[in-house]
Amino acid sequence: MDVLTGWWDDYFWGAIVVGQVFMCSLGLMIIFGLLGAMAKLSNSRVAQKIAGAYTVIFRGTPEILVILLLYFGSAITLTAIAQIFNPEIKFVDVPPFWAGTIAISIIVGSYATETFRGAFLGVNPGSIEAARALGMSNLQTFIYVRIPEMWRLALPPFGNHMLSLIKDTALISIIGLNETMFVAKQAITVTGKPFTMYIVVGAIYLGFSTIITLVVMGIEKFGERTTIGAK
Amino acid sequence: MSFDLNLIAESLPLMLMGIGITFKLLIVSGFLGLILAICLLLMRISGRWFLNFPAQVYIYVFRGTPILVQIFIIYYGLPQFEAVRDSIFWPILREPTGCAILALTLNTGAYVSEILRGGVLGVSKGVLEAGSALGMSARQNFIYLTAPIATRLALPAYSNDVISLLKSTALASTITIADMTGIARTIVADTYAPYEIFISLAIVYMIFTFGIQKLFGVIERYLGRYMEREG
Repeated sequence: MDVLTGWWDDYFWGAIVVGQVFMCSLGLMIIFGLLGAMAKLSNSRVAQKIAGAYTVIFRGTPEILVILLLYFGSAITLTAIAQIFNPEIKFVDVPPFWAGTIAISIIVGSYATETFRGAFLGVNPGSIEAARALGMSNLQTFIYVRIPEMWRLALPPFGNHMLSLIKDTALISIIGLNETMFVAKQAITVTGKPFTMYIVVGAIYLGFSTIITLVVMGIEKFGERTTIGAK
Repeated sequence: MSFDLNLIAESLPLMLMGIGITFKLLIVSGFLGLILAICLLLMRISGRWFLNFPAQVYIYVFRGTPILVQIFIIYYGLPQFEAVRDSIFWPILREPTGCAILALTLNTGAYVSEILRGGVLGVSKGVLEAGSALGMSARQNFIYLTAPIATRLALPAYSNDVISLLKSTALASTITIADMTGIARTIVADTYAPYEIFISLAIVYMIFTFGIQKLFGVIERYLGRYMEREG
């Protein structure tokens, strides 16, 4: 354990970066998932086709390819755009944080699309009819009836999506984000103890996974507080 | 910025040379992982705490940490120990391919054992009671009733796991293996044309994903041939 002295603070800041990536991509993932589910459930054939392509593409492609494509691709595209306005610019640097965050939220969002779609379909039609009978508008039905019923159904698989999200953050180290994997790499060049350094990374991720699992269990309990005995 | 089709025509055959390695990783670790998963499953359902508990810890650790970290611990980490370098496993652990197969096997084994357990738990009690009533022993019950029914129940989830294993093989490129993704990354480093290379490779992976889905569809229909329901 002596070799770890002096590295704890680096690991701590690396873990903070992992947490930041997770929080940002969680928000984006929910947005992508909801948009995808709405498109799939809409009456527009075009929207259905686009959402269908979205889920097929990102569920069938390795995560690392999407991350590399988004990182290098956006750098090239942004450089080309910047050169239109200012030919002096040689290269636009894309922050790996955002390239990686957007990449993993698009990927996991494609899984969340299916989860949300299934959950919206699982909303009891009787509840919606009751809302109609009470004179609620479409928007009111959506906010007061569909969403509260839907998130309870979506939560267990959604917890798994959050776990994939936290584990996918490790891949962003490939494009040079200074998170825990990156810290480990630096520590190894100094100490020459790769096993110890990567085990610490594993332990940090295990901690994150455990926290997420416990939080999801807590929210599930909270969600069931009004329905206990009703099933 | 342009989309260079000639470049794709030139580099696609190069990338496809990595198919062999990608498939070797997929099939060998898929097969070994399935054996590991069955062992873990038997430990989990044995009803003995000293078998159940280690299996649970194993599954918790391997499902709670990123596969990339696991690959790095095995490839970069294990040689830290003299004992590993002197052991008979060194010829395997010295090679990146051996390490990748080991990491993918250990990882997929944890996931698949949970899928199989879901299948076993899904077998209806009535069937097992019928077996006991016919004078079948617990072992016979497991072999002739639980195993075939659980296989059928677990198959859809298992096919998803084979697809995520295929996607995980792309991570082998991070430890210098020249699988399809590894070759693609080399080409991109030379040509700096991420769109052409990565998108065409993504399409190749999607075709394989589609093929795996179709294959499992056929197996599912074959295993479910007695299950045709009326109405």
